[in-house]
Amino acid sequence: MKNRLLVSLVFLLAGATLFAQTSLTVIFPKHEADLSGSFAARVKDFEAASKITVNLIQMGWDDVNNKLTAEMASGGSAYDVVEFDNGNVAAWLGAGWVEPLDSYMPKGFTNGMIPGLLDLFTGADGKLYGIVWNNDTRFFFYNADMLKRAGIAAPPRTWDELISQSKTLMSKGIAKYGMAGFWKAEWALVNDLHFYIYTYGGKIVDNRGTFLFNKDPATLAACQEMVKFLKEGVMDPASLTYDQEAVNNIFLKGDTAFLNQGIPGIMAYAQDPSRSKVVGQIKVGLVPGGRAGVSAALTLPEAYAIPKGSKNKAAAWKFIEYMTGKTVNKKLAQDIGILPIWTEQYTDKDLVKLYPYWADFSRQMGTARGLSVLTWYNNFVDVAITESQKMLSGALAPQAALNEMADLLKDYAGKP
Amino acid sequence: MRLRSPGFLTIDEPRRLGITLVLPSMIIVFGFLLFPFCYSLVLSLLNYDLARPQDNGFVGLRNYGRLLQDRYFLNAVVQTAVFSSVSVVLEILLGVGIALVMNRDFPGRSLLRALIIIPWALPSIVNASMWSWILNANYGALNALLTQVGLLHAYKPWIAEPGWAMATLILANVWKETPFTVILVLAALQGVPKELREAAVVDGAGAVRRFFAITLPMIAQIVMICALLQMIWSLLHTFELVYVVTRGGPFNSTDIIPMRIYWQTFKGLRFGYGAAMAYLAALALLVPSLFYIRSAYRATVE
Repeated sequence: MKNRLLVSLVFLLAGATLFAQTSLTVIFPKHEADLSGSFAARVKDFEAASKITVNLIQMGWDDVNNKLTAEMASGGSAYDVVEFDNGNVAAWLGAGWVEPLDSYMPKGFTNGMIPGLLDLFTGADGKLYGIVWNNDTRFFFYNADMLKRAGIAAPPRTWDELISQSKTLMSKGIAKYGMAGFWKAEWALVNDLHFYIYTYGGKIVDNRGTFLFNKDPATLAACQEMVKFLKEGVMDPASLTYDQEAVNNIFLKGDTAFLNQGIPGIMAYAQDPSRSKVVGQIKVGLVPGGRAGVSAALTLPEAYAIPKGSKNKAAAWKFIEYMTGKTVNKKLAQDIGILPIWTEQYTDKDLVKLYPYWADFSRQMGTARGLSVLTWYNNFVDVAITESQKMLSGALAPQAALNEMADLLKDYAGKP
Repeated sequence: MRLRSPGFLTIDEPRRLGITLVLPSMIIVFGFLLFPFCYSLVLSLLNYDLARPQDNGFVGLRNYGRLLQDRYFLNAVVQTAVFSSVSVVLEILLGVGIALVMNRDFPGRSLLRALIIIPWALPSIVNASMWSWILNANYGALNALLTQVGLLHAYKPWIAEPGWAMATLILANVWKETPFTVILVLAALQGVPKELREAAVVDGAGAVRRFFAITLPMIAQIVMICALLQMIWSLLHTFELVYVVTRGGPFNSTDIIPMRIYWQTFKGLRFGYGAAMAYLAALALLVPSLFYIRSAYRATVE
């Protein structure tokens, strides 16, 4: 009997030691609002609670994406939890790089999550492949103080109203430009293209992969509007050299009156005098549309996923479950203002008190749409960047640029 | 009686030592150069699209055929040719000119010789980030300088216009790479006998004639090596600069071949097509590389 007890104790201890030694390697980008290291602190909490050690790798979005592409393509097992961007969903599922989470999730785990965030990471097989950690929905911000000084009663409801208000602000010397766009030759330009197309009710492709962008009047109108911003002089002409950070900084500096696609954290930045010259002047409005009554927002959520090559899938799920659970999600919202993924938290009294403008966010949230889900999305981006820039700089007319895009992508026609 | 070929253990000590010393390098060369080189060749013959595995398979030379009709790739070839040729010409002209000046006696010459290496010694990514800030449309030093001296009335978004974007990238590349030419040519100039130049002065030859009749022939070999190396590097070492400053834009006007390879392979996930691009680029590099090896060998022998 004594021996049995001893043997059981040894096994228990060995088991406990093995579990305690489980180590995860987790990689995801540093959130732009996480200046205080709140994500890293939550990871430490997870380590303490679970006895699982985490090797956390956080870097810029592009760096993470590049690292992961090489790692996943080689079928490596270096990472246990990875960044899974909404723009990569079709490609990664096509390549079979990530594990469905359904078999790890407790039943009903996703009940109460914003449905759109789940849909974007659900494969054609109906399985869920990622849980969102960054609800990156974009909103329309405007400088209410500037509008008031110019005698403008309300923010614009349409893009043409925005042009007209910008001209007033510029002619009175209140704003240098109405707005700036992140139209540098990089990924985000195609996000912006999607955004404007959505505000006109357009679509890039249909579910069968049929090209719509070169035949759809809404898409053409959106492209013409983008060109018009530049031609009318209300868009900063250096926009073709700006990335998102530059556009945010220009807005916070008070050079522009409107920020068409701002990250949720802009409101927090705007209140920080060390970053902003427009403290107390910024408000959230509904995104203007191609015509009155139409509004749309772009959502670019990023999720956690488990790579097929991970050797610690069960522990990896524990990490995801902890980091995306309601408690941690609320804590992150309180600390750094990230948008929760749980519907109930938009009416949570602590959070509403802290972020009264979330009421405006929730009005826009219902209009949010994700990027096109295509296995050849990256090739679409390559072509769309070039042809959009030709269009924006006046080298090609909008319809000609859209036709050129269709011609360059013709190999993918009919392939979703 | 059959003669046995000597095995590793039966060969003499010095040869065994030689093989042992070379072996680690050979393993590295095979593992990190030859294997990827051969594997890429195989990849270039495949349709290897990670995002669409259902389309993958052997396609023979079709990737190469498609490349010759790929407007973006052909544009990248032209942009690379412009970038490389203008950069190399400027680097050689400036490099030789600065080396000639620095070969003369003047106060502070030693300090200047040490300082001139700084741009070349800077890591490429640091150089690229620095130029990205210099060219910034709102806060850039170039705009500030030109407006303060009255050459510019308003700040200009340099990299928003195709011509200026390419010109500023060439400027950034020339700034970084010229010191290499300066140092090499300066070393070659030390080898030009002083007596020859003095004799030419006595014979009444002017500075220009002395340069073309005496100096240039004696440094020509080194200048040639510099030009070839700069040409090779302009293709291999400029990815960081273009990636950080323009990302190949506006509308592919600065899209050089390494950027195209990067896009197709690591963004587009078309590894077969990207490998075919890399192979064509490698073939293009082979020509200056062979010339370089020949020139370097001749310089060593002489």
